Amino acid sequence: MAPASLAELRESIRDAIARRCPLRVVSRGSWLDANRPVHADTRLEVGAYAGIVEYEPGDLTLTARAGTTLHEIARATSANGQWLALDPLGDPSRATLGATIATGSYGPLAHHFGTPRDMTLGVEFVSGTGDVVRGGGRVVKNVAGFDLTRLVTGAWGSLGVLTEATVRLRALPSVEATLLIDIGSATAELERARTALRGLPFVPLAVQLVDAAARQALGVAGGRDAFIVRLGGNEEAVRAQREQLRGIGEAHDVDTEIWRRARVAEPAGAAVVRLSRLPSRFAATWQDAERIAERWPGGQLHGDPGRGVVRVVLPVDGNVLDASLRAALEIPFDGTRIYERLPRALWPALAPTAMHGAIDRGVKAAFDPHYLLNPGIFGELQ
Amino acid sequence: MSGVTPSVATESERHPVDAALAARLAAIVGDRRVLFRPGELLAYSSDGLPGYLKQPSIAVFPGTRDEVIAVVRELARAGAPFVPRGAGTGLSGGALADGVVLLGLNRLSRILSIDAENAIAVVEPGVVNVALSRAVSAHGLHYAPDPSSQAACTIGGNVAENAGGPHCLKYGVTLNHVVALTVALPNGEVVTLGNAAGENDGYDLVGAFVGSEGCFGVALDVTVRLARNPQAVRTLLADFHSIDAGARAVSAIIASGLLPAALEMMDAGTIRAVEASIYAAGYPTDAAAVLLVELDGPIAGLDADVATVVRHCRDAGARDVRVARDEAERTKLWQGRKKAFGAMGRISSHLVVQDAVVPRTKLPQMLARVHDIAERYRVTVCNVFHAGDGNLHPNIGYDANDPDESARVHAAMREIMQACVDAGGTITGEHGVGIDKLPYMGAIFSEESLSAMCALREVFDPDRRANPGKVVPMHSCREWQMAPAARTGQH
Repeated sequence: MAPASLAELRESIRDAIARRCPLRVVSRGSWLDANRPVHADTRLEVGAYAGIVEYEPGDLTLTARAGTTLHEIARATSANGQWLALDPLGDPSRATLGATIATGSYGPLAHHFGTPRDMTLGVEFVSGTGDVVRGGGRVVKNVAGFDLTRLVTGAWGSLGVLTEATVRLRALPSVEATLLIDIGSATAELERARTALRGLPFVPLAVQLVDAAARQALGVAGGRDAFIVRLGGNEEAVRAQREQLRGIGEAHDVDTEIWRRARVAEPAGAAVVRLSRLPSRFAATWQDAERIAERWPGGQLHGDPGRGVVRVVLPVDGNVLDASLRAALEIPFDGTRIYERLPRALWPALAPTAMHGAIDRGVKAAFDPHYLLNPGIFGELQ
Repeated sequence: MSGVTPSVATESERHPVDAALAARLAAIVGDRRVLFRPGELLAYSSDGLPGYLKQPSIAVFPGTRDEVIAVVRELARAGAPFVPRGAGTGLSGGALADGVVLLGLNRLSRILSIDAENAIAVVEPGVVNVALSRAVSAHGLHYAPDPSSQAACTIGGNVAENAGGPHCLKYGVTLNHVVALTVALPNGEVVTLGNAAGENDGYDLVGAFVGSEGCFGVALDVTVRLARNPQAVRTLLADFHSIDAGARAVSAIIASGLLPAALEMMDAGTIRAVEASIYAAGYPTDAAAVLLVELDGPIAGLDADVATVVRHCRDAGARDVRVARDEAERTKLWQGRKKAFGAMGRISSHLVVQDAVVPRTKLPQMLARVHDIAERYRVTVCNVFHAGDGNLHPNIGYDANDPDESARVHAAMREIMQACVDAGGTITGEHGVGIDKLPYMGAIFSEESLSAMCALREVFDPDRRANPGKVVPMHSCREWQMAPAARTGQH
């Protein structure tokens, strides 16, 4: 099913409700192997429902249909010196606005700008009851009604099929620079650099700590861990930021292109887990992540010290035994472990559900009473 | 705000006090903390919104988290509807309790922990907004959302309303600063929403709870994100000979991509009211409008941004633009803005305040439209608002004892709201729907959308006992109660 209009989309869903036919909601399909397996044979393809609906540059807001690609949005906004400051993993010419919001996906820019929940102003979706529902609006400030926008952001299409969203834009910085700072692999050295970064009088656009394997994949090979820092602002501001970074370690410029590369450098189908704790414990979280990566050939790490999150990427080919992958992933860890992608068979063992209580189950039942939208994606039927 | 006379009869006669319930609540919190005599309840018969008086049946004031939980459970056992209340400064009537139990949370005013390293704090719901910023200032931190009532309003109330404030233009509203909450659901069950110590997976229930106006339960503690104090701050005052010129300056500054910490506008009526009050800030009294612009951040590059703002103001026709020379002048400029409503309350016996939002490019035409509407209805509208967000606060002072004037004021307000909605805006930017904006909900949301909101409410509160009758019109909720199969057959 690939409906081309809102009316058709709603009809498809109402038809599925009448037939009690579970649906796998698909946009351009680039994230289909992420999160828990969905128990549905019928695909509802919504990627064709695309296009910018309203863009008034002076408002710094943009409304687009869910199938609009991030590339298309970037093209329209950059012509006016603006951007949607979201850089989730994946090829921007395939990643859609709807999928990005539905999966709550973000990238290194979250360090400064936050995640989709912080920049989505309003949504339209077709719920599992077949209703066309709008939450929020098109203006930058809005508290009218209960917040359905936050509810469907990051809900992985399990409550409704996103059809349209309004997002807040930012001005592109007039000057940008990206610097790489080598640091030693000792925990004390990492902690010193992290503290120094935190003490800066400005918040960089992005800060990523990368290990040697991730550096290799990004084309900035080096034997040690390194911070990659993205600066932005007016000319004077960026000049001062460069000066201040010097206090942390030897910094050298790398091509800003590295951020685009980072979005597509990851091996396809890799098993991915994000470890997080409070930012003050970032060095310890990084060490825990290293313990996983060390036990896996080709394992690579990158993390955001400001958010306290480390992403562990373990390449998986057809010959990998689930049991050995599981053994690598199951280190003792007292923080939060969120899996992005796993071989199908490992989900029930490692992360059976993201439904934490009666409210989560109640929300699902209220918006998708027949359990037809991406059933299983939060582990709710297991 | 002053001199409000009851416009709605108190309803305590219709809801006789349940003496047994009052006694059971007193057993939990002590006799002194339960009020049920009409005379005692008078102070709790309104919130910050003038023009409504609704008397609760009982007002109960627990002093500890355990007492709150025990009270909520007692109310659940009794099947008693209740209204959570912080400091009662809300401007939408959200904390009005019409013959039901009022649950006051202002005594839960302890800051439970401050983690300066991670810039988070855990607070009880009754902590006053500005008290939190004061408590963390020694660490070079502050709590960014700063409603004008911040000297009195509570974090719990801010969470309920998803409160904003001038500095939300750059720093975001309450939603962007709440990390996690512990909540007593209306049935008395205690749940944790969000993850204070790492990432969150599953549904964003923190996002759902913030701004739920007391309909989803009672926050027992709130983990908030703190903001680092900027290295430098520049506060500018620009004055204009016309409102239109000021509005064009706002649109130009926003369109330039600069992100001021705050961008506030006041018109002639507001300026004169402020200057005639004890909050006189030195605004030029012959100006048609002033803009208060604040830029903050690292020193490097800041003055280049100041120069850009000055240029946009002058290009739009500013007569004068001055930069506050020191902290004292800065404080004075802000004091005038933050106390503007209070200053206007001195002039009129009654005041209606709106909270509409329009796209920022529509500000000039919308302010002209507001002016036309006011003239047509022969009422005086004052504007003091968060121009950078497009968040208008047109307010009209009047005498509620004059039925003709009252009718004209309310007709003008309805027309202003409709004009904002027609311009692609919304009916409330930061005050909440409460009861005051209920009639407008149908203007921006379809029945299907309102039904979905009811459905979400019923997940948290199936008995609809928490803040009944607020936010979503009840007829929408009845729709939702039909069997799903019956509804899906409709178009």
